[in-house]
Amino acid sequence: MDWHQLWEIVSAPDNVPIVALLFFVPFYAWYGFRQARENDRLIGQLEADPQLAKTHHRKIFPWKPGWTKEVHTWPYLMRIEFLAAIIVTVLLIVWSLTLNAPLEELANPNLTMNPAKAPWYFLGLQEMLVYFDPWIAGVVMPSLIIVGLMVIPYIDVNPLGAGYYTWKQRKFSIATFAFGFIVLWLVMVVIGTFIRGPGWMWFWPGQTWDPSKVVFEPNRDLPDIFHITSMLGKGIFGAVAMGIYTMAAWYGIHKLITATPFNRKIYARMSFIQYITMQTFLVLMLLLPIKILIRHLFRIKYIWITPWFNV
Amino acid sequence: MPENPEKDPVIGQSLALYLLVAVLVLVFCLGWALWEEFFGLRPWKTYQRAFVARYEAYLKKQVPVQAAKEKAIEASGDYQSLQQQLAAMKNSTAPQAKELDDQTARVDARTTAVLNVLTTARAYVGSRVYEIEHTSSQSGKASIQKDLDRYKAGPFVLDLPPAEAGGKSERISVNFDQLQDEFNILQQEKGKLLLQKAALLRPVSELQAKVDSYVKDHIDGLTVESLRGIRKKYEDYDVKIQQVNNPDAGIVDRCESCHVGIREPVELTRKNMGKDAMAGAFTSHPDMELLHIHDPEKFGCTPCHNGNGMDIARVEKAHGHDEHWLWPLFPKENVEAGCQQCHARDMMVDHAPVLSQGKDLFMWRGCMGCHQYKGYNAEPEELVSTERSIEQLEKDRATDQLDVQKSIQAGDQAPDNETAQKLYLKANELQVTISKISLQIDELDRRTKYLMMDAKKVGPDLKEVAVKIHSDWIPVWLDNPHAWRPTTRMPRFRFDEDELQAVSAFIWQDAIKAALPQQPPGDPVKGRQSFETRGCMGCHSVGEGANRVGGWFAANLTRVGEKDNYDYLVRWIHNPRERTEPYCPYEKRDLTADDYKKHGLPFVFDHEHSKCPNDGHELQVEQMTVMPNLRLSIQEARDIASYLETLKEKDPSSYPAVPYLNDPKLKEKGELIVRSYGCAGCHEIAGLESEKGIGTELTVEGSKPLEQMDFALFVREAEEEGWYNHKGFFEHKLAQPEIFDKGMVKAEGEELKMPDFFEPIDAKEVKAIPELSAQSHEQIEALTTFLMGSVTSQYPERYFYEPSGQGKDIQEGWWIVKKYNCEGCHQFTLGQSSVLMTLPQYQTPDGKGQLPPRLLTEGARVNPEWLARFLANPSLSDSDTDRDGVRNYLKVRMPTFYLSPIEVRKLVRFFQALSQQPIPYIPRKLEPLTAQETDMARALFTSQAAPCLKCHAIGLPAHDQYASAPNFLLAAQRLKPDWVRHWILDPALIDPGTAMPSGLFKQAEGHSVFAGPTPPIFKGYNGDQAELLVRYLFELTPQEQQRLIQMSGKNLMPASAKPATSELRRHSPHRAERALVGMLTPAH
Repeated sequence: MDWHQLWEIVSAPDNVPIVALLFFVPFYAWYGFRQARENDRLIGQLEADPQLAKTHHRKIFPWKPGWTKEVHTWPYLMRIEFLAAIIVTVLLIVWSLTLNAPLEELANPNLTMNPAKAPWYFLGLQEMLVYFDPWIAGVVMPSLIIVGLMVIPYIDVNPLGAGYYTWKQRKFSIATFAFGFIVLWLVMVVIGTFIRGPGWMWFWPGQTWDPSKVVFEPNRDLPDIFHITSMLGKGIFGAVAMGIYTMAAWYGIHKLITATPFNRKIYARMSFIQYITMQTFLVLMLLLPIKILIRHLFRIKYIWITPWFNV
Repeated sequence: MPENPEKDPVIGQSLALYLLVAVLVLVFCLGWALWEEFFGLRPWKTYQRAFVARYEAYLKKQVPVQAAKEKAIEASGDYQSLQQQLAAMKNSTAPQAKELDDQTARVDARTTAVLNVLTTARAYVGSRVYEIEHTSSQSGKASIQKDLDRYKAGPFVLDLPPAEAGGKSERISVNFDQLQDEFNILQQEKGKLLLQKAALLRPVSELQAKVDSYVKDHIDGLTVESLRGIRKKYEDYDVKIQQVNNPDAGIVDRCESCHVGIREPVELTRKNMGKDAMAGAFTSHPDMELLHIHDPEKFGCTPCHNGNGMDIARVEKAHGHDEHWLWPLFPKENVEAGCQQCHARDMMVDHAPVLSQGKDLFMWRGCMGCHQYKGYNAEPEELVSTERSIEQLEKDRATDQLDVQKSIQAGDQAPDNETAQKLYLKANELQVTISKISLQIDELDRRTKYLMMDAKKVGPDLKEVAVKIHSDWIPVWLDNPHAWRPTTRMPRFRFDEDELQAVSAFIWQDAIKAALPQQPPGDPVKGRQSFETRGCMGCHSVGEGANRVGGWFAANLTRVGEKDNYDYLVRWIHNPRERTEPYCPYEKRDLTADDYKKHGLPFVFDHEHSKCPNDGHELQVEQMTVMPNLRLSIQEARDIASYLETLKEKDPSSYPAVPYLNDPKLKEKGELIVRSYGCAGCHEIAGLESEKGIGTELTVEGSKPLEQMDFALFVREAEEEGWYNHKGFFEHKLAQPEIFDKGMVKAEGEELKMPDFFEPIDAKEVKAIPELSAQSHEQIEALTTFLMGSVTSQYPERYFYEPSGQGKDIQEGWWIVKKYNCEGCHQFTLGQSSVLMTLPQYQTPDGKGQLPPRLLTEGARVNPEWLARFLANPSLSDSDTDRDGVRNYLKVRMPTFYLSPIEVRKLVRFFQALSQQPIPYIPRKLEPLTAQETDMARALFTSQAAPCLKCHAIGLPAHDQYASAPNFLLAAQRLKPDWVRHWILDPALIDPGTAMPSGLFKQAEGHSVFAGPTPPIFKGYNGDQAELLVRYLFELTPQEQQRLIQMSGKNLMPASAKPATSELRRHSPHRAERALVGMLTPAH
């Protein structure tokens, strides 16, 4: 166990946000879910008592006589935000006083740094390069992520759950977000930071980052396993494989969307285009974890090989 | 989540406490930020304040100390008499000065009066003239002119004060021209008066200046006045960043923001600047002279010292000790590394003894045999490029020759005359070009020859092993050279038994098999005397450890008798450059007698016969050793060889037998090993002559990225122990190269090749830092310093020390001086002493007289043309070479180095440049002597008070064996008259400790006059007597010298005819005296 190495990674000024993230994300996820559970209980109460539901506007506590029905932004919201602003300012000042910019030596064109890592917020993208070719990982996927995020308001037909934490009313949305952001994006950032060492090799935390480490990691493409050698054959094979995957994923996701009566209600509200769009993005999103898995479990590099792109 | 509260939590809850705490924390943070801004990030402010306080306190303490010194100086008789002289002079000139002042005042008053009127008048005239010039009509011009003339006619009335003391004021009226004249006259008058005053007061002011600077010139340290000046400067000291900014070189150095006192005129030591760590920052630069050479305003600090000149936020950052700064401050012991980047071309860097040692070691240890380094071992590379140029030129010539034929043919068939002529002309031009090319090729051929003369190897020629060495000794030596000869520069190669046998077998079988002439034995007692007196010990030593006597440059001969064949040794001592067979670089083999026989030539090869009989290329005709030829007789060589054969610790026959040496199977394997270990870098080995160095180039090794250095498995350990840097790598690599193989799984032959140059005290154990002797550590430190400084510079090349003219001559000369270890016998600068000077046999007065000449002013002393001749052949004779051309009376002898004309030229220029002598040298013309002057000079020469011929050699062996100075007959060709004059006047000034007496002449009436009783013939002569002697010397002929010898008579006898060396001590002085007188008697 190389504690020195671990400490070096953890204590690097570049990695402060990621170390913080390791603690903050679980904490706030827990905190949010706790609040959501409370709110869900209140929602249950309100749903059981139509009288109360009619008079009530705030979704935190059951209303009591003597309480105003609405609360003004000023001062009741602003003072909290002001307090938060002061605390964040203090944090930033302390941070800037104690940690200097992690500048390194003069760039030397003859000596590239190893490992050469992107800023922490892009490490997930960099990690994606392991699984897809640069065209897909560097251009197509990021574009899809952005477009997918932009599309959300247009395909979100669930009218409930705006303005308060809830799990019950937005199970599907929250699950999808948690999967996409926490599982895929953050895990890849953490892998890129803590696991990837010199030569972008896989080092478990505590292993020494030795640039001259020798590993045996042969990569093959899926068509190679089936002894398909011609370019055309590979193209067709890949297209078929991707087709099978798409159909399977489509079917699986459809099952998920229509799993509960509530979900089916939402599904019924969706137009055909909304449904198609959502399915497309979800199918593509699912491709990433599957690709990660088959890469790590079976050492398979690409499934679909064409002269223009590889998947 | 609590139960549903009674009160509305959004409205009812107070945030006041949270806000208060948050705001307080925020305010604290602001305070913190401000503190960082003013102090935390600016530690230099604290430093500066502390410095000012401590410096002032120190100066305050110094004032009374210096005041006391001043008082002592002021009380001295010299100062007092100067003061009195000054007062008297002031008194005597005062009335005259006052009179002149009065006159000047009167002239000034009159001038003022004139100017009062003149200024207005001139302004008016000027404006009218301008109007005339700018009026277009002629009539207009004329009318203004008329008006102007009227104005100029005046009259102008002047009220002039009196012209003389007690005179009367006067009133005159003048016209404009007269007015101007009046003014000019007054001006001239004033000028004259001022000149008079200046002339009057000049001696006074000169004396005043002398008095004023007397204290300053004589005090040790600064005067009270300058101390006060410094204190005043620091009284209202402004704390600010002190910065050197040289945009031209990109230097921004703020080091002096903390090291405030580094350039102060007062010498500050750690001791007087306080007791804490800060005091270390306030000292003066330890070598102020260096700062005078390298003005900090131009060079800053970091180009020499490294560190981060711009960063002053923290000490570690400023010193560049943070992880990412590529140029951390050089450690104290390697501080001279900073010199190297600009002084890479110097072999000898003043003020940098450690670096110079490193440069020297790099050559001496043979590092350049494997590792290329720009500037080192340049000859082989230059040979290759010369060869290529010759090939190219030969091709060009062949093409041109074809073109000539074509042109002529085309010309013959040309349709008209004009075309034909053009073509013939072209053919002619080409023929001229061809002749030019031929000349160029000749020149390059000659250069090849010279370069081959200069190309040397660090180690001995292994082709001669079979004739030179006892075979049994080879594996013993190869196993661990340090064990056999601790001071050897041959490193240990870590061979295992198999490799050892293979290498030994290869070397043995690869060598030339020849029979050397059998030599009769010599006399080892005489041989020992020769060895100790001829100068061998300038380079060689005998005895190990504390008993070691002699030079370090060449092999220690303590056990030489165990390994060398007598017959070979005789040949080697007689002429070390003698080869058994010449080597042809073109055919890449050694030529044998058969090659010569084929062409009907005798098997003779030397510098006159250096062309290959087969192909006409230049041959390597001499051993590539730097060991020179002492031109000893064959008998003396036998004596020395016999002596050397007695030097042994055990009998050669006690070495284990080596039957495998002739095993042909081993040869092949041995060759592979020898090739892979780069043995040919230092040794001449048959078949491997043109091998390249196997090591990495080191010219800029110091700036190689650390990641590319082969720390092998030691990266983490080095990081933890603090040697993960260039210094650490070099030190460990030099101390024990194989350490970086530790733990690595390597196939046979893939291990690190670098051998062990330094023997650990305990060789068994492989440790990161082996225990080494103090000398080894010193050498490693020097080499590390040299390598750390070997960097790609970030500064413009014009900042490098690449002088032209004499500076360059000196630079180039040192390379040769170091290459041949001239310093073993000679002294070049006062600080340096030769090896011989330190040997016990040269410590007695007699012994000192036997030392080779010191070369402190050689360039000023000798005629460069003569020097070139002497360096090429120090015997100055083609037939009788068993002698020294200049100082045959010394036992020690200037050997023949067979320098090529390239090196001779460089050396001559080096000496001229060391003494700031111009090149070319044009001798001063000396007036021929008149008959009377000749007589006078003879009288001086033979006078009792200055018996010149007593010490100077005269060419008679009986006399010359007691001589201690060269023969005068050499002077005309050898010396420069100016130097001779200075030498005669005061030799001790030029060469402190010389045997030549000083004070032979004294100064009288601007001439030098003989200090002893002047011979009567000089009556009435008022020329310079030293000059007379010089002129006489330069006219001296052998006949004249003969005459002098006769004139001198008994005076010629050495004062104490005492033999100078132990060998001669056997002669009784009386006998010597008698012999001498006997020789001279017939002449009387």
